[in-house]
Amino acid sequence: MKARLAIALAVAISGVAIQAHAHHSFAAEFDINQPVRLMGKVTRIEWSNPHTYFYIDVVDANGTVINWAVEGPSPGALSRRAWQKGDLKVGDTVVVEGYRAKNGSNTANGRRVTLPDGRRLYGGSPGDGGPGDDGTDQGNLPAAGTIK
Amino acid sequence: MQFLQHVCDVLYRSSFGTMLRESNNAFSVIESVHVLSITLLVGTIAVLDLRMLGLILRSVSVSRLARSVLPLSWSGFAVSVASGFLLFWAEAAKMYVNPSFRAKLVLLVLAGFNALVFHTTIYRRAREWESLQVCPWRARVTAVVSLALWGGVIIAGRAIAYF
Amino acid sequence: MSLHGWFIALARSPLGHAMQTSRWGFAVVEMVHLLGLALLGGSVLIVDLRLLGVILKSESAITIGRGVSRLLLCSLTVMVLSGIALLSEEAGKCYYSPAFRCKMALLAAALVFYFTLHRQALLRVQSEEPTLWPRIAAIVSLLLWLGVGVAGRAIGLL
Repeated sequence: MKARLAIALAVAISGVAIQAHAHHSFAAEFDINQPVRLMGKVTRIEWSNPHTYFYIDVVDANGTVINWAVEGPSPGALSRRAWQKGDLKVGDTVVVEGYRAKNGSNTANGRRVTLPDGRRLYGGSPGDGGPGDDGTDQGNLPAAGTIK
Repeated sequence: MQFLQHVCDVLYRSSFGTMLRESNNAFSVIESVHVLSITLLVGTIAVLDLRMLGLILRSVSVSRLARSVLPLSWSGFAVSVASGFLLFWAEAAKMYVNPSFRAKLVLLVLAGFNALVFHTTIYRRAREWESLQVCPWRARVTAVVSLALWGGVIIAGRAIAYF
Repeated sequence: MSLHGWFIALARSPLGHAMQTSRWGFAVVEMVHLLGLALLGGSVLIVDLRLLGVILKSESAITIGRGVSRLLLCSLTVMVLSGIALLSEEAGKCYYSPAFRCKMALLAAALVFYFTLHRQALLRVQSEEPTLWPRIAAIVSLLLWLGVGVAGRAIGLL
């Protein structure tokens, strides 16, 4: 069928062209073999659909400040875990336990986030297949010390 | 284009755009409507294109099918554009620099142009070939181009998330 | 093997491994799934709107049904195959996902309905104006397929 061939060609060509930086599946973008534990001050928050992001300044062993991006789910998913927009503010100190992006950039997917008020929340996107994902929007908060 | 970029910035920073972008449910619902509207828009156009290629509904004349199907396609277009515009509004500044979004708009315009050329030329003489099982080559070319362009719109739309 | 066992087996299969390690595999397969959705949706709309008596009234419903059945079944096949590939990437999670389970239940219902009562309704509508039962069949069909689509969206949102 000529039409299907045209469509298949279009898909194949775009498949080669796409670099898949942001991916709606944990396994393809984040590396389960690169757990990270980040603690730092929040410099920026993007409370947006389809994914929320917050950026933190992390001081490493040498005293160098590195800015990390932490990807989270949609505002809707976070609010259903009782994480509202104002709960995290610029300047707050936050702890993120998660996994680093496969492309080696300073980007992490936060599976376990400790907010300034002490609450520990699951930070994965519903249905992304990563650790703690149980297919619901509440997720299964990985226990302390399990992300390593 | 400084002016376009400025317009996108204004939309992005507007309270309505921000409300949509930060919404708990509204954005997801609008996005779902947009995705599902491809059945009403592209699905119906594809049925017409596949008829012109002689692959389906051969017992129905092309113009008969078009008269029934095109109102559906236009409804789908209205829903897609309305929902798409809202999604664009919420993310305008990011969409301005997104190459996949730009590609999607270009493909959309080309798809429209393809349809326009078809309707003002070959389709004018539809009575001569509407009941044929295999349509004239110009109609078939239009159909293949239409399928490829609309398929491209869907693919580019999905790829927006990856840039 | 238990149902859960099948899901695990799929995740561990060569397909699952390829999908999980590929950088762009999921994206491409998802796009194929979307293209299939457009075609499946289009064919369902055409046949059910005829069954409702809204379009193509001068053709018999079964003619329209037969005319798009090949498209419907081909696009459905594309969706099922691409769906299995998508599933292999995150099978364990999907097994527990309420949205996924809902989608599969609705898909099963839509398919059974299509091959049984829906087909009967198509055969019954000879004249221009369909009676009550074919109209109900059309609405049930549209709602079931719409439900599959909405549940599919919910997998990634809820």
